[in-house]
Amino acid sequence: MKLSKLIFKLFILSLLLLQSCSQDDDDTVFPKGDYENGILVSGEGSGAGTGSISFIANDFSDSENLIYKKVNGTELGTFLQSMAFSKAKAFIVVDNSNTITVVDRYTFKKEGEITTGLATPRFLTVVGDKAYVTNWGAAVDETDDFVAVIDLNSLQLIKTISVSNGPERIIEKDGKLFVSHKGAYTNNNVISVISINDDSVKEIVVKDRPDELFFSDSGALVVLSEGRTLYDASWNVTGHTQAGISMINTSSLSVDLELTFEEGEHPSLMVYEDDMIYYALNGAIFKMNAEATALPSSSILTAEGYLYAMEVEDNRIYATNTSFSDVSTLNIYDVTTQEKIDSKEVALGASKIYFN
Amino acid sequence: MKQTFFYILALIISFDGFTQQDTLVNTLKEVVIHGDPRLKQHSVGYKVQTLNDSVLLKNTESFTNVLRFNSPLYLRENGVSGVSSASFRGTSATNTAVIWNGININAVNNGQTDFNALTVSLYDGIDIRSGGGSLEYGSGAIGGSIHLNDDLVFSAKKKTTHQFVLSAGSFEAYNSLYKFKMSQSKLAINAGVSYNESENDYPLYDTDFKNENGAFKNLSLNFNAALLLSKYSKLKFYNSNYWGERFFSGELPNPETAKDKYQNSNNYFLLVYTQNKYKLKQEARMAYLFETYRYFADRAFDDYDFGRAKRYRFNYDLSYRFLGIDAQITSYSEYESTLGKADKISEKHRKQFSQSIVYKHDLSDWLNYEAKVRQDFNSDYKIPFTYALGAQFKASSQFFIRTNGSKNYRVPTYNDLYWPSQGNLSLVPESALQGELGIGFKNDVVSVDAGVFYIASNDKITWIPNGDPERPGVWVPINIDEVTSKGVEIQVGVEEQFHKHIVKLQANYSFTQAIDEATKKQVIFTPEHLFKTNLSYNYKLFGWYYQQLYNGMVYTTASNSEDFVVPAFFVANTGVDFKVLHTLQSQLSLGVKINNLFNEKYVVRPRRPMPNRNFNINLNYKF
Repeated sequence: MKLSKLIFKLFILSLLLLQSCSQDDDDTVFPKGDYENGILVSGEGSGAGTGSISFIANDFSDSENLIYKKVNGTELGTFLQSMAFSKAKAFIVVDNSNTITVVDRYTFKKEGEITTGLATPRFLTVVGDKAYVTNWGAAVDETDDFVAVIDLNSLQLIKTISVSNGPERIIEKDGKLFVSHKGAYTNNNVISVISINDDSVKEIVVKDRPDELFFSDSGALVVLSEGRTLYDASWNVTGHTQAGISMINTSSLSVDLELTFEEGEHPSLMVYEDDMIYYALNGAIFKMNAEATALPSSSILTAEGYLYAMEVEDNRIYATNTSFSDVSTLNIYDVTTQEKIDSKEVALGASKIYFN
Repeated sequence: MKQTFFYILALIISFDGFTQQDTLVNTLKEVVIHGDPRLKQHSVGYKVQTLNDSVLLKNTESFTNVLRFNSPLYLRENGVSGVSSASFRGTSATNTAVIWNGININAVNNGQTDFNALTVSLYDGIDIRSGGGSLEYGSGAIGGSIHLNDDLVFSAKKKTTHQFVLSAGSFEAYNSLYKFKMSQSKLAINAGVSYNESENDYPLYDTDFKNENGAFKNLSLNFNAALLLSKYSKLKFYNSNYWGERFFSGELPNPETAKDKYQNSNNYFLLVYTQNKYKLKQEARMAYLFETYRYFADRAFDDYDFGRAKRYRFNYDLSYRFLGIDAQITSYSEYESTLGKADKISEKHRKQFSQSIVYKHDLSDWLNYEAKVRQDFNSDYKIPFTYALGAQFKASSQFFIRTNGSKNYRVPTYNDLYWPSQGNLSLVPESALQGELGIGFKNDVVSVDAGVFYIASNDKITWIPNGDPERPGVWVPINIDEVTSKGVEIQVGVEEQFHKHIVKLQANYSFTQAIDEATKKQVIFTPEHLFKTNLSYNYKLFGWYYQQLYNGMVYTTASNSEDFVVPAFFVANTGVDFKVLHTLQSQLSLGVKINNLFNEKYVVRPRRPMPNRNFNINLNYKF
C-alpha cells in the first residue's frame, strides 16, 4: 500500500519534472550518470586524507578517484565505513562523523544527509522506503548499541531498535534483518535476528567476532566469525578462540553446520559468488563450494600487500593492497588462471568494493 | 642509586665547608642565573634564537602560537587547542626535544611534547637551538631543542617586582598571569601563576558550524629559588606544575560529533647544587618528573584511558678549566630511572646511565671549538655512541662562520615498545647524522645568520600493517624509514633607534627538502617554505607590532598525491599598546590585538578550519 503510494508520488513528480524540462529542452532521455557500469571502491581515509570513493569502469579503461569530492566540492571525512544502495541512490556511511550522505548512485550528486539519531553508524541496508543502520553507540558503553530505522523520504529517524554489543553488517530476507555482532571495541558472538513487523529481536550464538554474512543460493545464512586472540593481564597472547563459518537455517534459526578453523587462524573478508565462498587468511585467498562440509586445504592465490577488501564478480577477484598513509591499489585477478589482469590506484584506506 | 647520589651531594657540600666565606658578594651588582647554563656554554657553532618574555607575552594564547610566529619550526595542530606538535628541519615530532631548565621533558608514552598542553608565558625566556643536541639532552634532540628557562637574579640591593598580565578576547578567551620576582644578595625567588580558559567556539568559515567541543582551561604554578651558600656555591630549586583540561573539537563535515575530553598534568622538581671554585666546577642535580594524562572518549562518561610516568634523574658534572690555554674539560654523568604505566601497559621500568665528555677550547680570538662524546647504557636497548663537533670562526669583528656536526638518537617510546599485542620489543633507537654550516654578521643594528643543513636519519620508527611478517594485517612499529633532510635557514634581525623611535624586525625563512629514501618523495606534513616576520615600532609611550607567517603547502600522503594536501596559507596578527603609567617603580600598559588580521581562511590539518579575524584586549601591570 505504502509502496504504491510512493510510486504514484514519484510518477506525478517525474511528470512535473519532465514537463518543466521539456519547456526548454526537448530531449527527455537522461543518461544515468558517469558512475554507472563500473566498480566502486570506498576508502576509510585516515590522518593522511579524507575518506573517499573511487570509480573504475567495468572494462578497466577508465578510473577516477575522489568522485564524491569532484562532484560536490566537499570531503566526506573519516572514517568512511561502508556504502549501501537503493535502486537510484547510494548511502555513504561515515562513522566518526555520525553522517550518512545520500547521493544519486550514478552521478554521485549529493541529495541529502542524515546526521541526527546516529552514534558511530557502521552498515546500512535498504528495505522498501526505510533504511536500517547498525550503530555502536558511545565508545565506552556496551549496552547502548542499536539499529536506527530511517525514513528514506524525509531522511528522519523513525525509531531505534536496541541490540547486543557491536552490531556490524546487516542484511534482510523475508521481513527479517540479520545483524552480525563483531563486538565494536570489545568482542561478541551473536547474530541478531530482527523481525521488521514488531521489532522483536532473537539471537543466534556463533563463533567469536562474526563479521561478513550473506544468503547462499540454497537459502542458508552464511556467517564468517573471525575468532578472538586471548591475552593475559599484561597483554601476552595466551591463546585463541576458534574461527568458523556457520550455516544457519533462516526459518528455524538453528546452526546447521559449522566449519571451524585451526586454533590461531583468524580468517576475514568472506564473499559469495556463484555458489562459491571466498575468504582471506593471512593475505591468502581461499575458495570453497558453498555446500562443502570441510574447509579447503590450500589457497588459490596470495594477494599483494595489505589485503583489506575483497570482492569476486564474473570470474574475477578484486583484492586491495590497502594503505592508510597513501592511496591504495586494487588488484584484479582471474579466478581460473589466478593471474593478475590489471591494477588501479584507488581510495586511501580502501576497505569496501561494490559493483554499480 | 639514590643513596649514592646523596653521598656525593653530602661530599660536595662538605668540601664546601673548607672554602672561606668571604664578603665578595656585596660587591655584586646583579648576577643572572640562567636555568640551563649548559646551553649557553656548549652551543659553539650552533644557532640559538632567544625569545624573551616580551615576545612570549605577545602570544599568550598558546605555546603553539609562540613558536608558530617566532621560530623556524613547523607547527601542526589539530585545530586550536588540539594536539599539537612541532618539527625542525623536516624531522618528525619526536625529533624535537623540549628542555625545562636543562631537563628533557618529552613524554614517556609517545616521546613528544604537546605544544597545546603546556603554558610558557610564565617563563623568562625560551631558547631555540636548531641542530642535533642528543649529546646534551639525550633522546629526541635530533632536529633541535626548545628550552624553557627560568632566570634567577641575585642583586646587591634587594629588589621585588610583581607583574600582572590579563587579557580577554573573542570566543570567551581569558588569559591571566601573575609573576613575582625577588632578588637579594643571597636569595633569589622567581614564582608565578597563570590561568587560561577559552570557549574556543569560533565559527568554522564557509559552514554553519562552530568549533564545537573545543573549550579548554589550564592552570600553571611555578616556583624557583636560588640560595647563595658561599662565594663558591649555590643551591637552586625549580618547580613547575601544570594542570589542563581540553575538549577535542571535531572535524568537518560533521564537527558536532566530537565528544572527546583530555586532561593532563605535569609536575617537575629540580634541585641543583653548584660549586665553582678556582679551576674546578662541580654540579649535582636531582630531578623528579611526574606526568599523567586521562583521555575520555566520551565526556558524558567517567570511563577513560590513562597513562602516567615517573622519572628520577641524577646528574653529576665536573668541569676543569685549563687556565693557560683557555680550555675546559667537563664530564657529565647521568642516571635516569623511568617508571611508565598506562591503562593497557603494566608498569615498565627503564634505566639509563650515560656518560659524556665535552672539551671546549677558545683557541684564539678568532677561533673556538668544542668536541663532545657520549655513551649511554640502557636497560631495554642499545643506544648508539654519539658525538658532536662545533666550531666558530670569527672572520672580523662583525663576520663569523659557524659549523657543527653530530650524531643523535631518539629512543623507542613506551607505546612503541609495549602497546598491547602490537608493541615491538626488538626496536632500536632512531639515529641521525647531521652537519651544518652557517655564516653570520652582527653589528649594533643588524644581525644575520644564514645556514645550510643536512640530516641523514636512519631506522625511523613507523607503525605499519604487515610490519611483522608473521602477523599480516596487524599494525606494529618497525625501524624502517630513512629520511634525508637538507635545506637553508636564514634569520635576520634589525634593531634601530633614532630619537625616540625604536624599530625592530625579526625574520625567519627556511627551505626544507626532507626526502624519504624509499619513495624519493617529500616527507608528509613538511612544508618546503616557511617565512615568518615580526615587526615592531615604539615611540615614547606608544607601541605597535605586526607578525606574519607564510606556511608552504604540505603533502599528507607518502606518494605526494596532489589530491591530499594542506594548501599554503598566509596569516598575520597585529597589535597596539599604550603605556598609561611609566615610572621606574611601576609600568602599566593597555593593548589591543587583532588575530588573523586579513581574515584568511586556512587549515593546518585537513577539514579543521582555523579561526577567522578575532580580537583581544590586554593589560600588563608591573610594579
